[in-house]
Amino acid sequence: MLEQYIPFVGEETIFELYLLSKKLKGIKVLHVSSTYKGGGVAEILHRMVPLMNELEIETDWKVLEGDEKFFTFTKKLHNLLHIPCGECIDSEEIVYYLKITYENFKKIDTENYDVIFIHDPQPMGLIIKKRPGQKWIWRCHVDTSTPDPQAWDFLENFLNAYDACVFHMPEFIYEKIRIPTYTVRPSIDPLHPKNIDLSEKEIKTTLTKFGIDPEKPIIVQVSRFDKLKDPFGVFEAFKLVRKKYDCQLILAGSFAPDDPEGEGVYKDLLNITSDEKNVFVLNLPPDSHREINAFQRGATVVVQKSLKEGFGLVVSEAMWKSKPVVGSNVGGIKRQIVHGVTGYLVNSVEGAAVRIKQLLANKEFRDNMGFHAKERVRHRFLIIRHLRDYLLLIYKILHQNS
Amino acid sequence: MSRPFIFKSELWIPRYTGIMVYSVREFIETLKIIDKFSIFYHMYINIFNYHNLPTFYTNSISFWFYKNGYLLLAEKISIIDPLDYYDLDDLRNALVQTLEKNYDKDLDKKEKLTPFYFIKAEREIIDCERIANTLDQFIEGIKKSSINSLFYHLITSRIENKTLVNDYSSWLLSIGEAKKAEKINKLDLYIMNLYEVKKEIIKILENETC
Repeated sequence: MLEQYIPFVGEETIFELYLLSKKLKGIKVLHVSSTYKGGGVAEILHRMVPLMNELEIETDWKVLEGDEKFFTFTKKLHNLLHIPCGECIDSEEIVYYLKITYENFKKIDTENYDVIFIHDPQPMGLIIKKRPGQKWIWRCHVDTSTPDPQAWDFLENFLNAYDACVFHMPEFIYEKIRIPTYTVRPSIDPLHPKNIDLSEKEIKTTLTKFGIDPEKPIIVQVSRFDKLKDPFGVFEAFKLVRKKYDCQLILAGSFAPDDPEGEGVYKDLLNITSDEKNVFVLNLPPDSHREINAFQRGATVVVQKSLKEGFGLVVSEAMWKSKPVVGSNVGGIKRQIVHGVTGYLVNSVEGAAVRIKQLLANKEFRDNMGFHAKERVRHRFLIIRHLRDYLLLIYKILHQNS
Repeated sequence: MSRPFIFKSELWIPRYTGIMVYSVREFIETLKIIDKFSIFYHMYINIFNYHNLPTFYTNSISFWFYKNGYLLLAEKISIIDPLDYYDLDDLRNALVQTLEKNYDKDLDKKEKLTPFYFIKAEREIIDCERIANTLDQFIEGIKKSSINSLFYHLITSRIENKTLVNDYSSWLLSIGEAKKAEKINKLDLYIMNLYEVKKEIIKILENETC
């Protein structure tokens, strides 16, 4: 499988991965997360784990089992780590978290591994099983820079027993962390159906299928239907743009059946755009990877106008398709877009509108930025770099005291 | 007979030092004491991370000043070429002196700046299992080298060996290829990107007249 990445990163980069992996011969690695399906963590691990095994680093992936009550609490914990919202953690929730953690002790064998990656807060309590000589790494995918103090105290009980923690970017790190802290950017997989090359024919057919004119400029935002992704702001920006430019807007995403807020956002968008023949609000099944791919490839300009964002890898996905992205100056978006080089960072609806207009008006500009956007992703945001960072991290942690 | 050239490569992972600053004064004071591999990260790693793009500034320190509206400091730092130094403490002193000389505290902003996070590089050198005894083998080796490998031989090996002559040029000198050695040593690594540098080096090596 690694050979398939040679066209993207070069033979020499793959060769160096083999060289690095030789230093890790004989070690066993375990990843533990909270789900095999859905979300960025699972998507990356589905590819990362086989690649590590291909490099002859014996790697397994296990999932913490919990019930609705457990995951309701961990969702609350996740939210509290992200933004303090006045909610409290009660002692009953803590007891239940520990109960489920203990139940998983029997199901998840961690004893036969040298290095254990624990992804996010849900399985964090498994650290209690840590044995002498093992290295445990907490891989946090959440912005914890301004956590709720009570939530942080809860987490810290476990965190200090870890050997290291890893965040996407320094802005996400809470300043009180005292264990070794690394930054590893997440990544996209160029072989995933949402990123693979598509023929012009497939792109046009897909657009046409949804009633979109492939010959008319297209502005696209791909995101779940969520107020924090600001689809309403994108529509406002579009209204400013279309005064001078005949163009179309695609707001493509999905919402989970059990997410009433998402459904509400989707319905509100349908309502306010019902008279707009050039606006397409598309609620797609979660596995519509090729369709999303086609929308991004068919786009003239891609937008990511989130009000708050984790890393926002959808930006890199668009950049990989040589698209300039107009993105908000928040979260990981600002680490992906190099302002004025691979796209634009904006702070308002008006800022988004003016940058979209600049790009619509100037093809050379778009091509040039699109070229640099793809190069930036090739260089910094592909899974091969992510894999190399993990291997090096493992090596460094294993040799921490030598 | 000259010693063979051993191809190596360098990989690194960013580690947060736990220090972030919100003002120019804090930045200068931290720069004086920060781990030297943080200076390495912010001044050299950008050659790898960003120089393949036409960015406005050459390193993340300059970019931080620019982003916070200190354009003069951004320019003054941007022209400091870290490849003129093989000692990270000398480079630290040059940066501090430049900032002390050009920082006007009367122009300081009252509000907190966007923070600067001091990151350091945790490096690992790997042996590429390739050696060259002849110029032809050397050219083949360069062609098969990653830009990480170029980064090591052209940039960090100078710090490790405490010399302004890069590894490639040093070996070329040892086999009597002084002209090629000089040309490679004169490449402006801080302005070009490593992909261009690789092409340029191969061109110099394959040019029989130099």
